[in-house]
Amino acid sequence: LGELLNLCDSQLLSFVSDFVSPRLKKDPFMVLPTEICLRILECVEDPTTLARSSQVSRKWRELVTDDMAWKSLCEKFSYRTLSKDAQAKQNELPGVWTPRDNGEPDFRHQWQLSGLPVGFENTRAMSLDRAEKERQDRRPGFTTYKSHFKQRYMVETAWRNGGKFDTRRLSPDQGVVTSLHLTQKYIVVALDNAKIHVFDTDGNNQKTLQGHVMGVWAMVPWGDLLVSGGCDRDVRVWNLATALPIYTLRGHTSTVRCIKMSDATTAISGSRDTTLRIWDLKKGVCKHVLVGHQASVRCLEIHGDLVVSGSYDTTARIWSISEGRCLRTLTGHFSQIYAIAFDGKKIATGSLDTSVRIWDPTDGRCMAVLQGHTSLVGQLQLKVDILVTGGSDGSVRVWSLTDFQAIHRLAAHDNSVTSLQFDNTRIVSGGSDGRVKVWDLKKGTLVRELGSPSEAVWRVVFEEEKAVIMASRGGKTIMEIWSFSPPPEDE
Amino acid sequence: MAAASTSAVDPAKKMIMLTTSDNIDIKVEREVAERSILIKNLLEDLGSEGDEPIPIPNVNEAVMKKVLEWCEQHRKDPPATQDDDSDSRKKSTDIDEWDQKFMQVDQEMLFEIILAANYLDIKALLDVGCKTVANMIKGKSPDEIRKTFNIQNDFTPEEEDQIRRENEWAEDR
Repeated sequence: LGELLNLCDSQLLSFVSDFVSPRLKKDPFMVLPTEICLRILECVEDPTTLARSSQVSRKWRELVTDDMAWKSLCEKFSYRTLSKDAQAKQNELPGVWTPRDNGEPDFRHQWQLSGLPVGFENTRAMSLDRAEKERQDRRPGFTTYKSHFKQRYMVETAWRNGGKFDTRRLSPDQGVVTSLHLTQKYIVVALDNAKIHVFDTDGNNQKTLQGHVMGVWAMVPWGDLLVSGGCDRDVRVWNLATALPIYTLRGHTSTVRCIKMSDATTAISGSRDTTLRIWDLKKGVCKHVLVGHQASVRCLEIHGDLVVSGSYDTTARIWSISEGRCLRTLTGHFSQIYAIAFDGKKIATGSLDTSVRIWDPTDGRCMAVLQGHTSLVGQLQLKVDILVTGGSDGSVRVWSLTDFQAIHRLAAHDNSVTSLQFDNTRIVSGGSDGRVKVWDLKKGTLVRELGSPSEAVWRVVFEEEKAVIMASRGGKTIMEIWSFSPPPEDE
Repeated sequence: MAAASTSAVDPAKKMIMLTTSDNIDIKVEREVAERSILIKNLLEDLGSEGDEPIPIPNVNEAVMKKVLEWCEQHRKDPPATQDDDSDSRKKSTDIDEWDQKFMQVDQEMLFEIILAANYLDIKALLDVGCKTVANMIKGKSPDEIRKTFNIQNDFTPEEEDQIRRENEWAEDR
């Protein structure tokens, strides 16, 4: 045969080649047993290849439709698995009490639920002041890994280079936004002009909570409940569903600067009067006054029975909520503390002295001093040994708290970082340079800028498929609501 | 193997005999053959003597030689455990250089190796085989995949169009 081929010219050889080569080719999915075919598909690492594979032939389509390959792709992309997804749904915030006819709150529903571990999870999420657990599940549950993957992938794609947004003007009045929350049901905006505006999550149906007489500086939502405080020294409790006040809690003798809730009936406020107060929202009374700080209490964070507070007296303190007493004082900063984060295992404090300190809550020991920022560190978020900090120097830094080293240093903004939030994949930062930037948490690279620059960004919050930006544009306070949800399935 | 007659011989180096589907006897060191969990279990069941040839009725000589070549190269690899099976696959489609060269064979042989690895229970080789095929698909259009494996497109044009639209979401990034 070799001699025969030697006699052929190139034209003949190419004929032979065309004739022979298809015979050397075989459809692997026809030769191999199904389990091995699926194993091969599980080795595919990108959805494009997998989706294209399903277009090759009926046999290929059938194999790709078997969900194993998509399941494996979900794992490779660290998308939540279906079972966890279902759990997350159950984890949603239970309905919080509504006032009965006589105006007295009905806590029974909440009491029943608060004993469950689920309730505890929510407690933590709320005290961390993040909206992660409150993600919206408007769509019916996905039944296949393929649809789950597709959904997540399209959301990720929209975060990268898509998404739709609506702009709302806050009417009638303008003001500086001091606090912004995005929950399962509401967008809540507090202003320095004493107003609190409540919207649905699409930014519609504005309601206004009227009662504070001076700027509102702190607030925390919990289901249909909102607790707020500000310059008028009052802590006010509201029903977000009706926009009506429930309680006015008096006691602080100066501006209320920070508020968090530890459970459905306990709020803790920190004030410029140097104290913290623990409020029983069921009875509408102050349970404990925490005395010890020598100057304004600027920030606080709750985990379990512990509340940690950061003060302009340069110290942070750990308090027992149930006992109402100070357990430890954390000393080391040279200047005012502006921000605090606490995940139960570690406490992080950000200070005007430009450093971040990490503390051990069990013994009050300073575990590390993180240096690098060149100005006030006013933004902190801590999760599973990842700490992200933002400063008045415009930089955002990602730190590992296993070895206390900086992982990424991002030159994020030309001016102060006013807002900072991260989840498992991304960081979103807002600055007084008017820009909102999305960063890849793992790579430390800029993914995109959200929207066009404004004059200043007051606050930004996001959840899986949504982001809300409060900014000043043309001298007006505006709200931009971004959606990264894919269009509904057309079937 | 001049020392084969003495009793001091390392049991791992002891030669065993495999009989392939086409009735060919292949001599191989026990340690090499034991990369195959199937052969390892057979040898254990038969007792330490193992002088009898072991029949491998599902693998022919050509494929068996190729598989043993891989086993020889990987004889010192740590043994696979049950759990890291799924882990190793998750890792990526990276294949080490020697294995890549080893897998440069025609498609028929490649698929035969995969089948043999599956039958002989050599997980690492099965993974390399599956990854090799996955890499042959990677980044190709449906038509290019069909050409690669000489597959007939058995969709109607309407079906093809519908499936293409169903999968459009995975294309735009």
